[in-house]
Amino acid sequence: MNSPDNNRLEQQEIDASAKWPVLTFLGSALCWLVLGGALQLGAALQLHTPAFLGGCEWFTYGRLAPAAQNALVYGWGMNAAFGFGLWLMARLSASALRHGGWLFVAAQFWNLGITLGVLGILTGASTSFELLELPRFVTVLLLVAYALIGLWAVSTFCLRNTEHVYVSQWYLFGAAFWFPWLYTVAQVMLFQAPVRGALQPLVNAWYVNGLYGLWFVPVALAAAYYFLPKILGRPLNYFYLPAAGFWCLVVATAFSGGSRLIGGPVPSWVATLGTVANFVAVPAVVMISMTLFGTLAGRYAALKESITLRFVFLGLLGFVAASLLNFALSLRSVAVLLQFTLVGELRDWLLFYGCFSTMMFGAAYFIVPRLTGRAWRSGALVRAHCGATALGLVVLTVTLLAAGWQQGKLLNDPAVPFADLTKAMLPWFTARSVALMLLAVGHLAFFVNFCWSVCPFGSAAEAPAEFHLPPAMSLPAKEGHA
Amino acid sequence: MNPPPDKHTLEQAGASDESIRQVHTQLAHEKPEQAGGGYAAYPLVLLGLMCSSIFFGSIYLAHYSSHFDPLIYNENAKPVAGGPAVPVVTPAMLGKRVYTNICMTCHQQNGQGQAGVYPPLAGSEWAQGSEERIIRIVLHGLSGPITVEGKEFNNAMTPLGTVLKDEQIANVLSFVRQEWGNTAPEVKAETVARIRAETASRTQPWTAAELEKLGK
Repeated sequence: MNSPDNNRLEQQEIDASAKWPVLTFLGSALCWLVLGGALQLGAALQLHTPAFLGGCEWFTYGRLAPAAQNALVYGWGMNAAFGFGLWLMARLSASALRHGGWLFVAAQFWNLGITLGVLGILTGASTSFELLELPRFVTVLLLVAYALIGLWAVSTFCLRNTEHVYVSQWYLFGAAFWFPWLYTVAQVMLFQAPVRGALQPLVNAWYVNGLYGLWFVPVALAAAYYFLPKILGRPLNYFYLPAAGFWCLVVATAFSGGSRLIGGPVPSWVATLGTVANFVAVPAVVMISMTLFGTLAGRYAALKESITLRFVFLGLLGFVAASLLNFALSLRSVAVLLQFTLVGELRDWLLFYGCFSTMMFGAAYFIVPRLTGRAWRSGALVRAHCGATALGLVVLTVTLLAAGWQQGKLLNDPAVPFADLTKAMLPWFTARSVALMLLAVGHLAFFVNFCWSVCPFGSAAEAPAEFHLPPAMSLPAKEGHA
Repeated sequence: MNPPPDKHTLEQAGASDESIRQVHTQLAHEKPEQAGGGYAAYPLVLLGLMCSSIFFGSIYLAHYSSHFDPLIYNENAKPVAGGPAVPVVTPAMLGKRVYTNICMTCHQQNGQGQAGVYPPLAGSEWAQGSEERIIRIVLHGLSGPITVEGKEFNNAMTPLGTVLKDEQIANVLSFVRQEWGNTAPEVKAETVARIRAETASRTQPWTAAELEKLGK
């Protein structure tokens, strides 16, 4: 039907249409990543060096920590997901992003909203709900911006020029609807018409769980399902599994929010239902991992060649680790020890950073040269980013696991005074700061490389990047067939 | 000559988007046993995993959901044997309210009455004596001299038969007979009803002399 040359021409057309919107999203995402990472590092430093920035009202821990988290989640995470999601949706639908100027406007609105929101948190106007700390006045701004972006993603899908829909598109299409649903319901039930007392933490837990599980994880999985066959040039293994895995994961995640409230101020069946939903998520994680790791199996040498695959591999490890941790934490016997410790923070961090963010790093290394038509300027910076991310994640995971374990034991021991517990945590907090510093170094390398590669100065001397014509994928050979 | 370009600055695609979509559509329509990756028992293993997760999930739900009771916040709280304890209500407890509303004005909260004016109930041989007499007093009142605990009283008690129902009379008398150290048995509502019927024609208050004929 399509000759390879036609295919190639079409792709160039799609990439050209996506260039400015996607670069805008990725660029602003990167600014937020550097800023958010720095704020987070500052908050982490205060836990073992309380005097650090302690005299400045704007940067006290109670403001710094939520500002960092919101800058990372809504500034970096959402922007990156928008940029990547729109690009992949256009590519897989073989349809250009029409009227990209509107997306540019949406990006400005979104970033204006986040900027005002983070400043609002720093000046003390934050709300008391996790991940909904952005002051209420930015909500409308964010929803209008998101409406434009979501509309573009969905309409690009609906105007597709292809017969077949690929698994990445299911996840992107679903996520495009789940985020506004989660966000508006949480806003209405917590701020517009607040529900009564004990229901509020329940709505909050449902939102936090949904934001990670029904927005960031689907976008990350869309990246994994796309880049593995794309770069390896081999079809996915066990391809009868993704549909079952998709529905199983989505339904289970939608119900699992209550498991965050074990022992909390809610009727006990709420937490129990969440735990059972996490039971049901186990087969989903197994099926998804079987397909993705099964495709990588025996081809790990390809990780040496491709930086995107390395990040995707890291992201897959993060996904499995976060899912295991989530399952373990929702068991009552484990929650007795580890709830309200640093392990809870690790669970969310592994999903957001270990799984989602690393996938987005890998995606950016693939996408940006195709948009600008030029290779990345520095291979060393790319490798530095990858190394710093991997090392930082390992240090952070080990630190938070060990620290959380000790913290849980000490908390459960009534003979230990609280001050001793705080003292026992000091070395762990220091180790966490070191890990966050490593990650921040990676962010800086990525940011510098991005600016250097995208800015047009001094590029005249450079030859445009040479993209090989991608071969057509063939079906795997069958055993026992002629 | 330029050095060879760094392989990590540019990712090369291994397959075109079009072929990825096509190949995977074909793969999705294959039966599991034909699909690549070997090990034909995987679908069965996964089905087993799915079933066991649902099975254990159901057991867990039954064990910890507290029957979806919106008021149970601690699933480990042991239910009380034979259901939650039902508070026991005795006629004397119900009678306390009647006593407080009606009788207390004269006979006082401590049941001591008022010396020389209203006879006491605490320790009184009348109150702890025959039901026949005290039910009649409450129904139709009492007037004239009476000796209680060796002291003389000469006053009138209001008839309460039209104000109180049989059960209220039984309750308040049970209260009086068991409070302040009194130890007489309860009065039954049926007894009150019987006496009310027997004395239906009576319009005047009783006198102590009349009642003493009924026995102690």
